[in-house]
Amino acid sequence: MESKPLYILLCSGEHEKLQMAAMIASVAAVSDRAVEVFVSMNAVVAFAKDAPAAERYHGGTFSKLLTEKRAPDPMVLFRQGRELGSLKLWACSMALDVLAWEMDRLEDDMFDGALGLTKFLSDAETGQFITL
Amino acid sequence: MADQVLDAKGLNCPLPILRAKKALKEVPVGGTLQVIATDPGAVKDFEAFCRTTGNDLVESKADGKVFEFLIKRTA
Repeated sequence: MESKPLYILLCSGEHEKLQMAAMIASVAAVSDRAVEVFVSMNAVVAFAKDAPAAERYHGGTFSKLLTEKRAPDPMVLFRQGRELGSLKLWACSMALDVLAWEMDRLEDDMFDGALGLTKFLSDAETGQFITL
Repeated sequence: MADQVLDAKGLNCPLPILRAKKALKEVPVGGTLQVIATDPGAVKDFEAFCRTTGNDLVESKADGKVFEFLIKRTA
């Protein structure tokens, strides 16, 4: 039985939410489920190209634990999901505009492009929607 | 004797599943992958993984805190 596609609206720049989004997206993708992630607001900043982990991830108590216990890096999980399954990431065109960033400011080979929210919501109509 | 063996001991969720997916790509259709893991959620995770991907979970066993799975690639 084919699962519904999964659509993740990722707005938070918090380490814990980035970690959860990356875990959900990668596991669903390798479980043969199509996944699309729309990255907006503070989450966009977390995808800045070549940012050191200390600058990329900000969070609370659990963020410290994730780092101490060497949990897999969210960027690595997203990349593995893309390599092993159908996982697309879209950068919010509005957020890029507000930041005055072009796509080349974001991690290489991570995104499928920039997208507007209307298109993402339209695509997501037939799938399962998660917001983080 | 499995066609491939994946030692995922000590890896946190979801790495055992991601590594298994990658390793299965190297297994011929009809072949088997043995996975050894220590993640406490691995038993239920590998059941779900095999159900959603259509691969056969031929064997699942536990020896204390170490879990072993034998997965047959079906497609």
